[in-house]
Amino acid sequence: MNKFNIVLCGLGGQGILFMTKVLAQAALRKGWDVLGAETHGMAQRGGSVVSHLRLGRVQNSLVETGTAHVLFALEEDEGYRNLPFVAPGGRLFVNTSSTAFPREEIRGYLTEKKIVCRAVPAVSIATAMGAALSSNLALLGYFSAAGDGPFDHADLRATIAEVSPDRFREANLRVFDAGFEKAMEDKGD
Amino acid sequence: MKQEILLGNGAIALGLLEAGCQVVTSYPGTPSSEILPEVIRLVKSENLNTYVEWSTNEKVALDNAFAASIAGKRAACCMKQVGLNVAADSLMSAAYLGTKGALMIISCDDPGPHSSQTEQDTRFMARLAKVPVFDPSTPEEARKMIRVAMDMSEEFRIPVILRPAIRVCHARQGISYGELKENRKKGKFEKDPMRWAATPRFRLILHGELNRKLREIGKKFETLSDYNFHTLETGKKYLFGIVAGGVPYAVIRDILTDQGRDDIPVLKIATPFPFPEGLAATFMEACDRILVVEETDTLIEYLLRDREKILGRLSGHVPSEGELVPGVIRETLNRTLEELDIEPLDRGPDHAITELVKSLNLPVRKPTLCPGCPHRAAFFAIRKSKPKAIFTSDIGCYTLGLNLGAVDTCLDMGAAITLASGFYHSFSQDGLDQSVVATIGDSTFFHSGTAGLLNAVYNGARFILVILDNLTTAMTGMQPTPALGIRADGTEGKAVSLERMAAGCGVDFIEVVDPYDLNKMGEVLKKAGEYINEPEGGIAVIIARHPCLIAYRDEAIPERKKVKITEDCAECNFCIERFECPAIYHDQELGRTNINAQVCSGCGVCLSICPKGAIVEAA
Repeated sequence: MNKFNIVLCGLGGQGILFMTKVLAQAALRKGWDVLGAETHGMAQRGGSVVSHLRLGRVQNSLVETGTAHVLFALEEDEGYRNLPFVAPGGRLFVNTSSTAFPREEIRGYLTEKKIVCRAVPAVSIATAMGAALSSNLALLGYFSAAGDGPFDHADLRATIAEVSPDRFREANLRVFDAGFEKAMEDKGD
Repeated sequence: MKQEILLGNGAIALGLLEAGCQVVTSYPGTPSSEILPEVIRLVKSENLNTYVEWSTNEKVALDNAFAASIAGKRAACCMKQVGLNVAADSLMSAAYLGTKGALMIISCDDPGPHSSQTEQDTRFMARLAKVPVFDPSTPEEARKMIRVAMDMSEEFRIPVILRPAIRVCHARQGISYGELKENRKKGKFEKDPMRWAATPRFRLILHGELNRKLREIGKKFETLSDYNFHTLETGKKYLFGIVAGGVPYAVIRDILTDQGRDDIPVLKIATPFPFPEGLAATFMEACDRILVVEETDTLIEYLLRDREKILGRLSGHVPSEGELVPGVIRETLNRTLEELDIEPLDRGPDHAITELVKSLNLPVRKPTLCPGCPHRAAFFAIRKSKPKAIFTSDIGCYTLGLNLGAVDTCLDMGAAITLASGFYHSFSQDGLDQSVVATIGDSTFFHSGTAGLLNAVYNGARFILVILDNLTTAMTGMQPTPALGIRADGTEGKAVSLERMAAGCGVDFIEVVDPYDLNKMGEVLKKAGEYINEPEGGIAVIIARHPCLIAYRDEAIPERKKVKITEDCAECNFCIERFECPAIYHDQELGRTNINAQVCSGCGVCLSICPKGAIVEAA
């Protein structure tokens, strides 16, 4: 694998930029070329926020539709909205506690394109760890169990420890670990 | 060597310091806002002596940088593309006068637009002002280009423009860099009034000098092969080629590499003005048809002479508005290749999934004021107090007051006040009594409020001006305003009072109120309304002062209130529609209006908005 594309989406204030930072830093540590694109300004005020991250030798920071290996969605509807980014065979990690996920209408598409889809109750995981606003780290922890692309659990964990501000480090790791545990449980089922 | 993932604006900051830039001025505006803070971060970590300032507006920023330049220093000023409109007067003249130390104007474009009033193309401003322009494709290229551009500025004694688009500014890239060295060049101003204070007769001479400089620079650009180059094989002829610059070049490069399409040559133009004519002529000659892909307008397309060969926006092949994202460029390219009977790319965008997503009827998420935002309280009170007024407003977070029906206009920085006076006179001319309430943010008022206010006072306009003072420049990332007495680098400056500014403009009615107190705010609005109608009345200024919740997390809400909705709720939706707080929503499952405690800031303003009194403090 010489290129890896990630799209992260959600709403303003959910911590998309921090999540992107962790992934980018972890990839950089592994020697990857890192190029990403962020949303700032008016769009941050409660609107849809999308962040792109491209690893490998590329020049343009935006992921093209149909080429994302992984899509992270911190909000279910934003996940659907950004579904066109996902490549055939790609993976989709969505923060949702809905049992009806994914919606009936798109199941055929997901099967046809062999897109692997994981519903992660990231808010509940984070809330249980006493950090309700850190669902981004729960989702990342869950993803880390899958070991996709250049990322593995230990790398991501070490990077979170490195980039978290001191006062949040411990809480961040706790939520990340809880997300990881949840993924291991799901695997066991 | 350090390796860091830098924001594009960080890479630009790095480039400025690597080029020995000694003075950096800026007014914040997306997507340029992070350049100055990144300069400051590097200046502090590398212990440099660079002078930095948040200027009160872009013209002020450019003038200050220009002075540094003609004192022999290396200087830069940073702004968004519409900021360059504000600085245009300064830019046009500076091109004629020339410079001494390097002078770079960084004007960041916003194709999309994501956070701007227009999709205007800074490259055209460069052409208009007769100033060389550099158009980087990536953060790394922007960083490297800055030194080349600044050296050229100094060599030819001409201001230069760097035009990074949003996908450069807000890209993030891993970048390695070494130690930054201080530029110790001392300032020295050599008097030369024929130049620095040139009268029209000398301006004609300077115009000739400027034209000669541009011809020389144009020749230099022909051989600037790290940035302007083509991929033609010598002597070979092609059916089709692409000319691209800036971010679209990066997209084209990735697509062609990914598809292994060596059969399509590319000409990259990183300096579209002065245009490298010779390089373009060589490329034109080798290709039968040429697609021009550039953002956001048609500068290269206009400058290429052989109209028969050119496909682009003018021929309808490239969309004339909106960002050229990879999917759009791929589709454009494919359509063009098919039209020319050339093998298309192997994959087009999957429209089926786009249609499928459309059919899901996902909620449209419009940007909203944050929960607890003091502007919401102010807008609610204004609309309630003056339901029939025309609401002129301005550029900032508070433009989102339109969600509360309390913003009717948004033209440009400062226009809340100038449109208010314009409306007043338009109606008073007809003998009509139309009330107008203008809203402007604190930073926007400092930027360009005073000239309009002075004019309105002088010319006898009557309206209520509410200065929404949240003690920061919120939209662009919490830069300090002159009222705080904190300068860009965190050092102490002299605080300038909004009250005194308004008084200095000749306003006699000035009241300060905390908008969280809706009753008080309503009373002050009423008083202001009476004042503007008094025979001796005039403009009433209300300063609605409450700190921004993002900038002042702890101080903004000293006592958090827990709120709930009681059985008295009539489900009239008044609170949802008129107060528009993200924490108040209609719960589909419960079938009633509810408070989202996770989203609620605890500001407690909503406690006094419900007509039925159904929003109460929870125990």
